[in-house]
Amino acid sequence: MSDEIRKRELRGLQEDVSRATLPDEGRVVESAPAKEPKTPGEWIRLNLFSGPFNSILTIVAAVFLVFLVFQAFGFVFLNSDWRVIQVRMKGYMVGSFPIDEVWRVWSSLYLVTALAGFSAGDSVRLPRGRSLVGGVIAAVVATVIVVYTTQTGLVRLLAAAIPALFLASNVVGRLVPPKTMRRIRTWGWVLIFPAIMIVIRGFDGVAPNEWEGLFFNLIAAAVGIFASFPIGIALAIGRRSELPAIRGFSVVVIEVFRGVPLVAWLIFSRFIVDLLLPPQLDLPDIIKAFVVMTMFSAAYIAEIVRGGIQGVHSGQYEAARALGLPTTRMMALIVLPQALRATIPALIGHFISLFKDTALFSAIAVTELLDAAMRLGLEFQGQDAQTLVFAALIFWTIAFSMSRWSQRLELRLGVGER
Amino acid sequence: MADDIGSTAASDVSPAGSAASNGHMIVAEDVKKWFGNFQALNGISTTVRKGEVVVIVGPSGSGKSTFIRTINRLERHDEGRIVVDGIELTDDIRNISQIRSEVGMVFQSFNLFPHLSVMQNITLGPRNVRHWNRKKAEEGAMQLLERVGIPEQAEKYPAALSGGQQQRVAIARALAMQPKIMLFDEPTSALDPEMIKEVLDVMKELAQSGMTMIVVTHEIGFAKEVADRVLFFDDGVLVEEATPETFFSNPQHDRTKLFLSQIL
Repeated sequence: MSDEIRKRELRGLQEDVSRATLPDEGRVVESAPAKEPKTPGEWIRLNLFSGPFNSILTIVAAVFLVFLVFQAFGFVFLNSDWRVIQVRMKGYMVGSFPIDEVWRVWSSLYLVTALAGFSAGDSVRLPRGRSLVGGVIAAVVATVIVVYTTQTGLVRLLAAAIPALFLASNVVGRLVPPKTMRRIRTWGWVLIFPAIMIVIRGFDGVAPNEWEGLFFNLIAAAVGIFASFPIGIALAIGRRSELPAIRGFSVVVIEVFRGVPLVAWLIFSRFIVDLLLPPQLDLPDIIKAFVVMTMFSAAYIAEIVRGGIQGVHSGQYEAARALGLPTTRMMALIVLPQALRATIPALIGHFISLFKDTALFSAIAVTELLDAAMRLGLEFQGQDAQTLVFAALIFWTIAFSMSRWSQRLELRLGVGER
Repeated sequence: MADDIGSTAASDVSPAGSAASNGHMIVAEDVKKWFGNFQALNGISTTVRKGEVVVIVGPSGSGKSTFIRTINRLERHDEGRIVVDGIELTDDIRNISQIRSEVGMVFQSFNLFPHLSVMQNITLGPRNVRHWNRKKAEEGAMQLLERVGIPEQAEKYPAALSGGQQQRVAIARALAMQPKIMLFDEPTSALDPEMIKEVLDVMKELAQSGMTMIVVTHEIGFAKEVADRVLFFDDGVLVEEATPETFFSNPQHDRTKLFLSQIL
C-alpha cells in the first residue's frame, strides 16, 4: 500500500519536473491529470484492472450491467405490447378532457414552446460536441417514442410542430436586440400563465374539474411554482424581520405547513381553506387544493431562501446602508439577487420535487398522470407494467429537463460570481 | 493647533446648527459604546472641521473602527452626542438616511456588490437614493472612474478586478453620492503591497481637493504626508491628538510612545 503511494508520489514528482522543464508548453495545466493513457488498452488496464480487487469489481459490475441491459431490452422490445399506450395516449396527456376542446391544450403547449425557444435565445451554449451528441440522441429517442405512441398522422404532425416552433422562436430570440429580447422574455413569463388560463377557460372553455392527465400535473406544478415563489420569499424575509409579530407569523406559517405531509394537506384542503378564506368565495375543491399546495411549497421555499439570505456577507448590508439605501431597496437590489442566485440549485430541486408531488392529487380523486396510468393498468389486465413505466418515463423526462435547465441558468447567471 | 482644536471640542456646547456654521462637519461629544459587557468606546470627544483630513491610529481593538462606524450609524452609539453636518444622529430614521447619503464610506474588504458591474455598483446609490436618471448617473460614474484611473473597467464585474482596482471602484462608488465627508476604514489593509500605492494616491488626490476625511489606517507615510491631525485611540479612549509632525516626533503619552515604538 505504502509502496503504491510512494510510486504515485514519485510519478507526480516526475510529472512536475517534466512540466517545469518544458518551456514550449506555454500554460501549465491547472488540474494535473494522472498519467495520460496512450492507447484504449492501456486506459482499460489503468482504470478498470489496476489490481485484483478492482478487476473483480469491474467484472461483477460489467456482468450486472449486461444483465440489466438484457432485461430492459427484453421488457421494451420483446415481452411488452405498447399498443395500450398508443390507444390511450390521450388519456395520459389530458384524461377525459373533451376531445373537441383539445386544441386549447395544443395552443397552450405551443405558447410555452415559443416562449421557451425565444428565451433560450441568449442561453450559454454547452460545449459543442456534448450538446450536439445529446441533442441528436434526444431527437432520435423522442421521434421513436412519438411514432410508437401516437396513432394518427395529425397528432404526429402536431407533435413535430413543437421542435420546429422551438427552433424558429429560438432564431427570433437570437435576432432581436438583447435588450428588447430580455424585456419580452420577462413579460412573456409573467403573462404566460394568465394567457394559458384564457386559452383553456375563456370562450366557453374547460373548467378545472375536467383537467386530467399530464396536463393537470403541469398546470398544478406551474400554479405551485409561480404562486409559492413570491410568498416563500416574503415568508423568508418575514422570518428575519425585527418585528416580533411579523417574525412570529412567518415562523408559524412555515412550521405548520412543513410539519404535515402534502398528501394530508390535500385531503384536508376542502375544510381547511374554508377556515382561512371567507367561505362565501365558494372555491372549487381543486382550487382549494392548489391553495394548500402553494402554501406548502412556499414554506419550503422560505427556508431555502432564508438560507441564501443568511449566506450574504454582512459587508454587503453595510455597503448598502452606507450608501443610504432604504431597507426595501437594499433587500430587492443587493441581498435577494445574491441570495436567490446562491440557492438556484436548491430551488430548482424543490420545484422538481413539487412537480413530482402533483401525483399526490390522485389521493383526492383527480385523474392526474399517475392515476390515469393506474386506471389503464386495471383496464388492460396484465399490461400494468407498461402503463406505469410510461408514466414514470414522462415524469422523468420533465424532471430531467428541469434539471438541465437549472444547469444552464446557473451558467448564465454565473457572471460576476466571486 | 492641536490644543486649539482640543479646547474647541471641550467647550463646544453650542447648538448643532451653529457648530456646523462654524465649519465643523463632525462633532462628537463623550461618545460611548458597548458590545455586551465590552466597552468599545469610552467617552470620545472630538471635532472635525470642513476640509480637514484626520487620521486615526491605534492598536487593534482600540475602538477606532467602531468610532468611524458610529458616524454613519453602522454602529449605534449608546451614550453621548454625534452631530454630522448640523444633523444630530438619533434613532430618527430620516436623520440617519440623510446623514448616510452625505457620508461616504470605504471598507477594508471593499464590499463591492459582486452581482453588479462596476458601472452599476457606482450608479446604484445616485439612482436609488438621489433619484438621478440613468444618463446623469452614468456620466457622473464615468467621470469618477477616470478620476480613480480605471475608466476602461466600467463594464466588468468586481471579481475580474485586482484588489487595488476594486478598492478604487469602492472609492468611486462612495464619491458618486457626492458626499461631504468620506470615511475610510483601513482601506489598504486587505491589499497586496504593490497595490497599496495606487489606492493611497487616489486618497491623496481626494484630500488635496478639499474633501473632509477620516481615515483609519496603519499607513504612517500617508498620515505624515496628508493628515492635518492624527488621533491615537487605545482601549476605547482618545489618548492623544496632534499634528502629524508633533505626533510622530514628540508623542506625549506613554501609550502613544509604546505604540509608535512597535510600528515604526
